[in-house]
Amino acid sequence: MNGIHDLGGKHGVGKLEVEEDEPVFHHEWEKRAFGLFFGVAPHGFFNLDEFRHSIERMGAAQYLNTTYYEHWLHAYETLLIEKGAISAEEYAARCAEVAAEAS
Amino acid sequence: MDILTPELVPVIVANGASTRVESDLEGRFKIGDEIIVRNINPEGHTRLPQYLRGKRGTVKRDHGVFVFPDSNAHGKGEQPQHCYSVRFSNVELWGREGSPKDSCIVDVFDDYMDLQ
Repeated sequence: MNGIHDLGGKHGVGKLEVEEDEPVFHHEWEKRAFGLFFGVAPHGFFNLDEFRHSIERMGAAQYLNTTYYEHWLHAYETLLIEKGAISAEEYAARCAEVAAEAS
Repeated sequence: MDILTPELVPVIVANGASTRVESDLEGRFKIGDEIIVRNINPEGHTRLPQYLRGKRGTVKRDHGVFVFPDSNAHGKGEQPQHCYSVRFSNVELWGREGSPKDSCIVDVFDDYMDLQ
């Protein structure tokens, strides 16, 4: 698809920032986001190409304003709901619970 | 479906998991072929970047046979096919803004191109 993810040759996206001593993960939750792939992908919920496509289907503004592992999180949310592993209602309810615990 | 075991996790984290398919399928192209990339604009998933479409290049290397992402992303099967490294001059890709000294080598699937 001709989405915003296909950035090759595009102007106006700013300079490529290269971090010195770049850590593998920038936040603790990113480790879990990474690990979750191995928990779900090999068990038939989705394949790598479906995973990539679900990220490409993000809205352009959302895609550009979110980080690499936020894209992964979006993929899990999208695919696990689309595949019927969880429902959108269950997911929203759990998000509300977590938000309530954090506040 | 392959089952992921705990022993496999460190191996996959370190090396990635390949989508290579063991197959004696023949490719449509050979090293040195002059090709033109198809101008396709599928609504679904593709690994063909927009900046390559309609461009002319030269096949430099045949990587072998791999799962075709465009079909595998949509439940249409693996459709295994060859993937090649193809060289494109920067002038071909970017016109007068491209350096005549430079080129890009991009991996391109069999179904993305035709002979010139």
